[in-house]
Amino acid sequence: MDNPFDLSSDIAWCPGCGNFAILKALKSTLSELNYEPHEVVLVSGIGQAAKIPHYLRVNVFNGLHGRSIPVAFAVKSANPRLVVIAESGDGCMYGEGGNHFVHAIRRNPDITVIVHNNQVYGLTKGQASPTSEEGFVSKVQTLGSLSAPFNPLSIAIAQDASFVARGFAGDIEKLKEILKQAITWPGFALVDVLQPCVTFNRVNTYTWYRERAYYLDVQYDPEDRVKAFEKSLEWGEKIPLGIFYRHRKPTYQEKFYALVSYPHLLYRERAVEEVLDRELQYFQ
Amino acid sequence: MVDRTVKIGGAAGQGVQTVAEILSVILRRSGYYVFSLEDYQSRIRGGHTFTQIRFANQPVHAAKKSIDLLVCLDSLTHELHHSEVAPQGFILGHVSPQESSASLGRLIAIDFEKEAVNLGDRIFANTVAIGALSRLLGLAPQRVEDYLAQVFSKKGQEVIEKNIAAFRRGAELVGENKLFGEETIDPPENPPRFLLDGNQALGLGALLAGCTFYSAYPMTPSTGIMNSLASKAKEYGILVEQAEDEIAAINMALGASYAGARAMTGTSGGGFCLMVEGLGLAAMTETPIVIVNGQRPGPSTGLPTRTSQADLHFVIHASHDEFPRFVFAPRDPQDAINLVIRAFSLAEQYQVPVIVLSDQYLADSKVAYQDVVVTEPVKRPLPVDGQEEYCRYALTPSGVSPRAIPGGKALVVVDSDEHDECGHLTEDLTIRVRMHEKRMKKWEAMKRETRLPFTMVGRDVNLIGWGSTWGVLWETRKELARKGIEAGIIHFNELWPLPQGLRDILRSLVSPIVVEHNYTGQLAELLEQETGVELGERITRYDGRPFLIEELCARVEEVWGRG
Repeated sequence: MDNPFDLSSDIAWCPGCGNFAILKALKSTLSELNYEPHEVVLVSGIGQAAKIPHYLRVNVFNGLHGRSIPVAFAVKSANPRLVVIAESGDGCMYGEGGNHFVHAIRRNPDITVIVHNNQVYGLTKGQASPTSEEGFVSKVQTLGSLSAPFNPLSIAIAQDASFVARGFAGDIEKLKEILKQAITWPGFALVDVLQPCVTFNRVNTYTWYRERAYYLDVQYDPEDRVKAFEKSLEWGEKIPLGIFYRHRKPTYQEKFYALVSYPHLLYRERAVEEVLDRELQYFQ
Repeated sequence: MVDRTVKIGGAAGQGVQTVAEILSVILRRSGYYVFSLEDYQSRIRGGHTFTQIRFANQPVHAAKKSIDLLVCLDSLTHELHHSEVAPQGFILGHVSPQESSASLGRLIAIDFEKEAVNLGDRIFANTVAIGALSRLLGLAPQRVEDYLAQVFSKKGQEVIEKNIAAFRRGAELVGENKLFGEETIDPPENPPRFLLDGNQALGLGALLAGCTFYSAYPMTPSTGIMNSLASKAKEYGILVEQAEDEIAAINMALGASYAGARAMTGTSGGGFCLMVEGLGLAAMTETPIVIVNGQRPGPSTGLPTRTSQADLHFVIHASHDEFPRFVFAPRDPQDAINLVIRAFSLAEQYQVPVIVLSDQYLADSKVAYQDVVVTEPVKRPLPVDGQEEYCRYALTPSGVSPRAIPGGKALVVVDSDEHDECGHLTEDLTIRVRMHEKRMKKWEAMKRETRLPFTMVGRDVNLIGWGSTWGVLWETRKELARKGIEAGIIHFNELWPLPQGLRDILRSLVSPIVVEHNYTGQLAELLEQETGVELGERITRYDGRPFLIEELCARVEEVWGRG
């Protein structure tokens, strides 16, 4: 069957890049969830991962480096009927956009944030990213990265993010399952996707991940925040995948629209004379 | 004719603004036109702050230097301002031990706090002050008492009664002293009905324009716009979001606008610096947005609570590469309402960013009006109902493409990268050229859109200005006329693109003098560059305070005398 999200385009990714798998998983997920392309808005930033919206049929806001989350928040707020996904790489979401990432969790907008996390800068050619391991050597980090890596899952759980998960680009089927739950989850849903960079990251390869990755099993309780935090610290010999944490709480949009008697922020004509008369009384 | 100025001073947190606000409303309700000026420091408690209220029985548009009544809520006010008091004026309140003998005005020493404590609580000190100054000004006590009852209505009957007792005590302490003596006070034939400041006006304009989304980071002097819209959030369904920074603020506003909301953001120069990346995004994605920049002196943090007009060059050129934008600067609160409405209309008509330049002087000054007139129609091109083959950046003769919003059949694809007609990223340089030309093509029509300056040509000298200085130019002109100098005014509230036909106007002017709150004369430079007409003289002020009528008048006379 044809996927309505398919779009033929000249894709600018390197052959073998993990981005292809994430694109495939995303298109299948949206199609299997029975969404139509016009219902979905994909917001991205800058970087190789951020080109993804150009490779499928959806509404697109390909904005600035690091700034996809504020845009996604506002699109969802203006028109809550839209399915809004912010998608970009680790440098974009956790580096340039780190401040927005942290504060969006506090707002709990009903958006999904998908991060292609390959622990390296691709488009600028191989520098360390916020998630690179300490000691990661590059043309810039010639002495090895001297900074500790950013742990997006721990930060999200510490901030009580509504939905926190990790997927792997080497397993499309499982990634689809996670994406389905994330996209249909009401509230801020983070999916950090481990994605090998075949050109610039010679350490965190498909094999490296396959040797270490395992899925959280059915015994694991994603409602337990402290356990989830503990799990999010696990990295190295063993790397857990799956849904780490879930906490259903009112979304920003649910809270806002419960307080005002309007369904959206779209075109609204105000009767100028009437509003003026009413408002001027406050200035008497 | 009545034309008097009251200055109320004290430490931050003492209630200067409360006393001034109550007095302004009572004066307005007593039939006077009012113009108030706020001068405060970037602190919450202590230091020195004052509000100057000019009232008259005809419309007033600027502040005077000479004070008729100085109200000292602390002794520092007395020390700092006693020399500004006109002979026959009064000084009321706390007296500085060092300066009492040197004052020109008549002194009525009252320790407002001590009186308040005698009445039960020092909290009533400001009401004692209101009582004293109301009596000195000869305001009808019943009208003041009614207003105090209204102000304190939420606090219960006991608080109202105690305030009224404090008010009466203040009046009693003044005795038979009167500012006006035997002078009769004629209420004007058309008394003012409304009193509002620039920030309230900018908020009201946005509300009337149909704004449904405002995201900002608090920054003086623009925070008042956010307060103004936030107070209407529930009633009108406006989302007012306090963003984590100005970068988020502008990106949010753009996201909301893309989705179909009428969106605005506001900041001051430093915040605008952070927004510049987003300004370019608005231009590249052709997403309509209105951005208010309330100017203050800088660069960097500068003087957070003072006024300036030094961001004109900055906002005209901000961002890399070239793109069309509008820059407006309202002349007063009434004009601010209309210009914001116009900003929204044009932002959507041309799908470009529109920057509204305010400043602390405009933001905080209250002006009384007989009528608030909305002349600007609220125009909003409806988004098109695109079909599946819709392309957001379809090439058109005007450069403006039909705009759809997501949610309909059309897929709306926008990109900060150079893109093709359908919004997809491209590195095809032929397309790049076509798209850049498409965006720049709007410029020609936009140039015909901006309106010529307010023009009243003078025989002897011509004052050129922009934005918030309109009122002081207007009053200075009247003052000069009394001295036999006929001054003209050329005043811009639409600055970019510069309106067509300026060269002929500028060339015809006798003794043009450009008056601005900056060092270089930015408007002067801009006009000279764009029209080739040399404008010569500048009168500038950049200490963070606005031009006062007497001062500007003296400087014009000086320049004119030299010529």
